[in-house]
Amino acid sequence: MVTVNFKLMDIGTIRVDIHKPETMAKVLQLCCTKPNVDFATIMAVRNSTIVKIDDLVEDGDVIDIFPAISGG
Amino acid sequence: MFSILRINTATGEIRTEEFDSQEFLLGGRTLSSRLVSREVPAECDPLGRKNKLFFCTGVLAETITSSSDRLSIGGKSPLTGGIKESNAGGIVGTRMAQQGLRCIALEDAPKGDAAWKIVVIGKEKTELVDGGFLAGKGVYEKSELLSEKFGAKAGCMTIGPTAEILLHATGIACSDPHGVCSRYAGRGGLGAVMASKKIIAMVVLNDGEVKAEFKDSDGFKAGSKKIVQLLKENPVSTQFTKYGTAAMVDICQALKVLPTKNFRHGVLEGAEKINAQAMYDIIKERGGEGKTQHACMNPCAIQCSNVYPDKNGKLLCSPVEYETMALMGSNLCLKDLDAIAMLNRIANDAGVDTLDVGAAIGVAMEAGLVEFGDTEGAVKLMEEVRNLTPLGRILASGCRIAAKVLGVRHAPHVLGQAIPAYEPRGTKGMAMTYLSSPMGADHTFGFTLRDEEVPTSKEGKVALSKKFQVIGSRMDAMGMCNFVRYSVRNDMTPLLDLINSRYGVMIGAEEFDDVVKETLKIEHQFNTDAGLTAQDYRFSETFYEEAQPETGEVMDITDEESALARQW
Repeated sequence: MVTVNFKLMDIGTIRVDIHKPETMAKVLQLCCTKPNVDFATIMAVRNSTIVKIDDLVEDGDVIDIFPAISGG
Repeated sequence: MFSILRINTATGEIRTEEFDSQEFLLGGRTLSSRLVSREVPAECDPLGRKNKLFFCTGVLAETITSSSDRLSIGGKSPLTGGIKESNAGGIVGTRMAQQGLRCIALEDAPKGDAAWKIVVIGKEKTELVDGGFLAGKGVYEKSELLSEKFGAKAGCMTIGPTAEILLHATGIACSDPHGVCSRYAGRGGLGAVMASKKIIAMVVLNDGEVKAEFKDSDGFKAGSKKIVQLLKENPVSTQFTKYGTAAMVDICQALKVLPTKNFRHGVLEGAEKINAQAMYDIIKERGGEGKTQHACMNPCAIQCSNVYPDKNGKLLCSPVEYETMALMGSNLCLKDLDAIAMLNRIANDAGVDTLDVGAAIGVAMEAGLVEFGDTEGAVKLMEEVRNLTPLGRILASGCRIAAKVLGVRHAPHVLGQAIPAYEPRGTKGMAMTYLSSPMGADHTFGFTLRDEEVPTSKEGKVALSKKFQVIGSRMDAMGMCNFVRYSVRNDMTPLLDLINSRYGVMIGAEEFDDVVKETLKIEHQFNTDAGLTAQDYRFSETFYEEAQPETGEVMDITDEESALARQW
């Protein structure tokens, strides 16, 4: 099971089952009702490291998703 | 034709000139930096009579286009010794455009014992009137007095008591839509430059009658609607609307780059007490005058600003933004949003930049003057700034000077300007940007963080920083809010089409980027002429020697690499 925490978004936390390592893009698709999540608008972070769209996510991973904003 | 109103602050002579060039068309930083470069001797004393201050509106000012009334202020910086462009929201840009002005220039300087003056600009005349009644007062009181005298809808700019005595970390406060001078062009010490000219306030009256004209009115309306639509469709800008820039607290904590304990650490235990959700919940719970979203100018479809209320629901500070929450919060190990808002309020009243003075307080804490995490102690230090005590004057001179006086080697600055709220050893892209900005450490310029695949590595960061230096400078180049870039992303066509609809001038995307790059080149040349060298574009040595504990990283960017990132 992969835990995906959508921070500062209404979606909240979603847990998805994967049977083999999947790309971050695939995991997001499994999480979201909307297809084709625009990766340019979010940041995925695992263990303080940014997860790219093609990076593999494994069973047990915890991913935090943030809106990819900037400071002012 | 575009007008520049030149005011000689020594002789009182006032004259208007008109130009029809591309730099005057675009306005904003394109114009202010070119004027500084051309008219200010690079080697001059920033607080002397040879420095000038230019206040420029942007190409779409006073139109229905969202977030297009940013005011760009340029001059030579007393904080960095180089060129400075600092911009602010608010209504001054709108009022200037309604008076038909693209630029106001404050030139020369009277003798130091001359009386304080207020520049008052109206449709009938421009005059310098007595400003003595404002002297020594805080910005909030000055703002009220200016509103009483000139009307709440006048566009006012004023300085705090710290600027009056020429301290280097001081800004210029501009009227927000409610008539409160709370929108700061805070960075680089331009408040002190205005004070050096004995101008304590500048007022653009609400009697201007110049209306924006359009070559293609229908096309302009359609294009402006498109910008709003793009902003509303973009999940990034919609998150700004709900949480504002405060959302960065969680992101930086997750990436271990949240400035903590005078930039010694990148993680603050308990940061959730000062994050965007905490602030949102407090504002909602207290109600009253509090607002989780607020526009700093009109019109604005983003509304990333806020109004933070006290426990009784009365306005405590507006806005409280991420950079301040970090520099006056996590960096001081404070976990109390009320305290951060209070520090912010006192800073606004004193007329200082929250980043530079926040960093200076961090240095003072490292020197042992107050313990990290001591809320009352931090507020007392800010009160020292407001009361202009000897220690307060040191803190209001920025973190470089504070560190020297207090014997602290770990001084978080580049070119004397405090590092913004991204710990540089954990994000080499932002570090590269800090080292390559002509303005000193700057975050709006070249914001790489969300596009760094491996933030702790310097590989590829010259190219990444340069890419975002152009993207980040585009909005400044035309006087737009930086966050409008989320509507157009990397395609400037919708905004360039608006210029064409308004003026009948088609600027291609490549041509526009060439203007942006040329501006950067001009700014760097000014700094070189001013005597800044590669050795100045460095962090304090401790950043290179001591690892940030959470990432294990030291600063490893070389002079040669940062020089490449400054090459245009």
